[in-house]
Amino acid sequence: MNPLIEFQNVSKEYQRGDRTFFALKDANLTIYEGEMVVILGPSGAGKSTLLNLLGGMDFATSGKIMFDDQDLTTFSDNQLTEYRAKNVGVVFQFYNLIPTLTAYENVALMKDIEKDTLDPKEALASVGLADHMHQFPAQLSGGEQQRTSIARALAKNPRLLLCDEPTGALDTETGRDVLVLLQKMSKERKKTVIMVTHNSFFADIADRVIRVKNGGIQSIVENESPISANEVSW
Amino acid sequence: MLFRKLLRDLWVNRIQFISIFLMSFLGIWIFVGINAESTGGFLAAAKYYDRCNLADLWLNGEGFSEEEAKQIEKLQGVNQVERRLSLDGDIELNGVKHSMETIFTEKNEISQIDLLEGEEFEENKDGFWMEEYFAKANHLAIGDTATIRLKGTDMTGIIRGYIRHPEHAYYLTAEETVMPNYANYGYVICSIRQYPFEQLIYNQILVDTQTQTDAEMRNLKNRIKKQIDRESVVVTDRDQNESYATFDAEMKQHEAMGMMFSIVFLLIAVLGIVTTMTRMTANQRIQIGTLKALGFSKRVITFHYVSYGFFISLVGSIMGAVVGYYTMPDIIFGAFKGAYIIPDLAPAVSAESITAIILAVVVSTFVSFMACRKELNDPPAITLKPAVPKKMVHTALEKSSVWLKMSFSTQWNLRDILRNKVRTLMGVVGVCGCMMLMIGALGCYDSIFGMMNWMYDDLMTARTKILMAPEADYYTTQDYANKFRGQMIQESAIEFMTDDKRKTGTLTVLDTGNYMHYQGVNLESIRLSDRGISMTQKMADSLSVKCGDYVQWHIVGEDEWERTRVTALYRDPSVQGITMYRQTFEHLEHTFRPTAVLTNKTAPDSLVDKDEIQTVMSIQDMRQAFAASMEMMNIMIAMMIAGAVILGVVVLYNLGVLSFVEKTREIATLKVLGFKSSKIRGILLKQNFWITTLGVLVGVPIGNLLLVGICQTLPDTMDLIPIVSFGSYVWSIIGTFAVSIGVNLILSAKVNTINMVDALKGVE
Repeated sequence: MNPLIEFQNVSKEYQRGDRTFFALKDANLTIYEGEMVVILGPSGAGKSTLLNLLGGMDFATSGKIMFDDQDLTTFSDNQLTEYRAKNVGVVFQFYNLIPTLTAYENVALMKDIEKDTLDPKEALASVGLADHMHQFPAQLSGGEQQRTSIARALAKNPRLLLCDEPTGALDTETGRDVLVLLQKMSKERKKTVIMVTHNSFFADIADRVIRVKNGGIQSIVENESPISANEVSW
Repeated sequence: MLFRKLLRDLWVNRIQFISIFLMSFLGIWIFVGINAESTGGFLAAAKYYDRCNLADLWLNGEGFSEEEAKQIEKLQGVNQVERRLSLDGDIELNGVKHSMETIFTEKNEISQIDLLEGEEFEENKDGFWMEEYFAKANHLAIGDTATIRLKGTDMTGIIRGYIRHPEHAYYLTAEETVMPNYANYGYVICSIRQYPFEQLIYNQILVDTQTQTDAEMRNLKNRIKKQIDRESVVVTDRDQNESYATFDAEMKQHEAMGMMFSIVFLLIAVLGIVTTMTRMTANQRIQIGTLKALGFSKRVITFHYVSYGFFISLVGSIMGAVVGYYTMPDIIFGAFKGAYIIPDLAPAVSAESITAIILAVVVSTFVSFMACRKELNDPPAITLKPAVPKKMVHTALEKSSVWLKMSFSTQWNLRDILRNKVRTLMGVVGVCGCMMLMIGALGCYDSIFGMMNWMYDDLMTARTKILMAPEADYYTTQDYANKFRGQMIQESAIEFMTDDKRKTGTLTVLDTGNYMHYQGVNLESIRLSDRGISMTQKMADSLSVKCGDYVQWHIVGEDEWERTRVTALYRDPSVQGITMYRQTFEHLEHTFRPTAVLTNKTAPDSLVDKDEIQTVMSIQDMRQAFAASMEMMNIMIAMMIAGAVILGVVVLYNLGVLSFVEKTREIATLKVLGFKSSKIRGILLKQNFWITTLGVLVGVPIGNLLLVGICQTLPDTMDLIPIVSFGSYVWSIIGTFAVSIGVNLILSAKVNTINMVDALKGVE
């Protein structure tokens, strides 16, 4: 497997008052193309910081983030925007759909950035929402909204799918559907899926599990035989 | 898809956006409308003057020789020179005499006749070319014979054509000193060869120049003065020409008024954009973060948010411009058609109009940009999180001991105001604008009626004015004066002359009696001095004459000039000129020829039929005639009141919706805590009441300033004292509060509709 992203001694500092503290300290990790990675840790451990840096949504204080032989930390604002537009799909905990656009339009929105996108209808059909395409987010259930959000992330055909607590606002049943969908994307479409969660049960479905604690990487464990998302329960 | 989002966001926030739209629409409507009118007016006048080759300089004097005309023609910068003779005559139609200026002209190459109907003017043709409006109003047809009386001699001729003349776009005579009424007096032009008297004494030279700049023109005037070194010759340019200058000033006044009103509306449009866009971008913070995370560039997102202000102001401005262009000029041209005779008045696009549209759009767009800039600078990781709440710093007021003594609703409203300063400011400006326009409108009304009372209650206390026919001799008039126990007065047209000005005015000569009263510069009662003459303040101002100076004047139609000392200044609302007692007048070796008798008795109706009586006017008639001539003013008053109401409703409704949306959670919390809806409405109404009160207080002085400004835009002949009656203050305040409270009642009804559970659900 080819490495997709590599973190080399990456740190992120915050200034609060006159105290400096690390949201992430000297993180080293490698993420390979096509694998499903779960980043586990309690709240405040640095998971979101890790995800934001992976997605080019924040600036690192020091270290290198290598993506395809390019160092993201040297990127300008515009280059980062382009990186996000081309390579990254994001799925948020609270879906973050544009409330004034329908499900279809939320997905079609991606055409404004990238010409080479999937057909919004297909993208929505692939997440099982062919029947609800023309409804506004407020008319959809949480699970449906999250699936729309996944369709939106997939529409760009990104290499990297970042998911921030994608089941955090959902009940077990719908949450599991979302996980099944994400695993399918990784296995069938060979997407690199990175999921941030505090739910350790999800570790079982991942190819690799990265545990984060107090701003540092605690462990990186490869999962020899990940189970199907259908079997996971919490 | 972002464009669809734009459209849907506009729909969701339609109240705010409609009000922004309306304000930009109204601002540009007024500005472009009035500008199209004044630019069109300027253009039409310029074309007219150009086509008829209006003179650039006029020389007025007695007996200009051919030699003198040639000397001037030789001066550098002079194109052409023409001599002319203008006499004041009159024409009697159906027993009524009308002033009829009679102009004898040579080739008529300068200040040419604008022929509307009939034969072309030629120097060797006889007959008159008569002003169209007068001729038509008095049923004088082309081919009819007219008799004009000049210096006591009748001159008869055929009317050859209906004309306009570029020097007579606006003109008054002694009888009509407030507003022109071209049905009552007019002018004819005829060939110099028709001059009925022996001695031909030219009294005008018209000069057509090449020079353009003011400096060159001044220089040329000086050279002409040097060339013709005679005391009684006055050289005037276009700016000193009554017809030219009055129209020019009128157009400039319109521009200034348009500017003033537009600024109020556009200011509110901009404030509306600030509040609406700031609130919207703050509410859409997470959406902005999401778009960034999805890979939208800063440029695209900025463009999206800037589009709101851009499109609204663009659509509002362009629609305002189009509607303004096609409506406003017609209204105004229609209103002053009777006052100015300028052909082909049509609206015109000006650079100022285009600048105003661009400026309105650029400012609105820039303001939207400033509003969303804050949310765009942080990386998406930060923008995706809810904004860190503003630190609630306690203001000095909140720390003071007074604070604790205030009721909860007062504290709540004060905090709300202190933390939403722009919104509050917008409210105050809106209410203030509403109040200002109301005071301005009602003040205009008061001032005009005040002027009427001033004129007919304070200054002239007679109940009836009997106007004598010109043929009535002194003794006949005296008989009437005895019979009605009246006071004889003489009112004649006179002309003043200073170094560089010539101006017409009215001479009033008083015989013994007590019907005319006089007020000084500060409106204190004064008695006119027995020595010298008294002059109206307005006339003194326009001639740059001070008390104690000498002025030169002569009665129109008489040749000898008087040089007398001005010993007192007085004020008169509509008749500008000089007044003296009969003794003074006779002392100057003039014969007292009374033209009217003032009396307190009611004259019988049969009096009018007598030959020696021209007409009998009761005070009531005069008041009515005066009120009727103020039609233009009424249109303006109605427009201002309508503007005030629209302004108030739009601003306050927008503001109300805005603050209501922001306060939904707080209101829901209060409801949960057990506050009754009526109590909450009371709290909201309180703040509205404060803002309205503040706006009203600020609006009063600004409204007064507006009124002073309006009074200053009136013609030279009117001395209007800005007055706002107590009643008008009360009505303006009631009106403003009615608008404010009415809007608030509609809004606060929404308190009942707030669903506590929904409103308090977590902010995601």
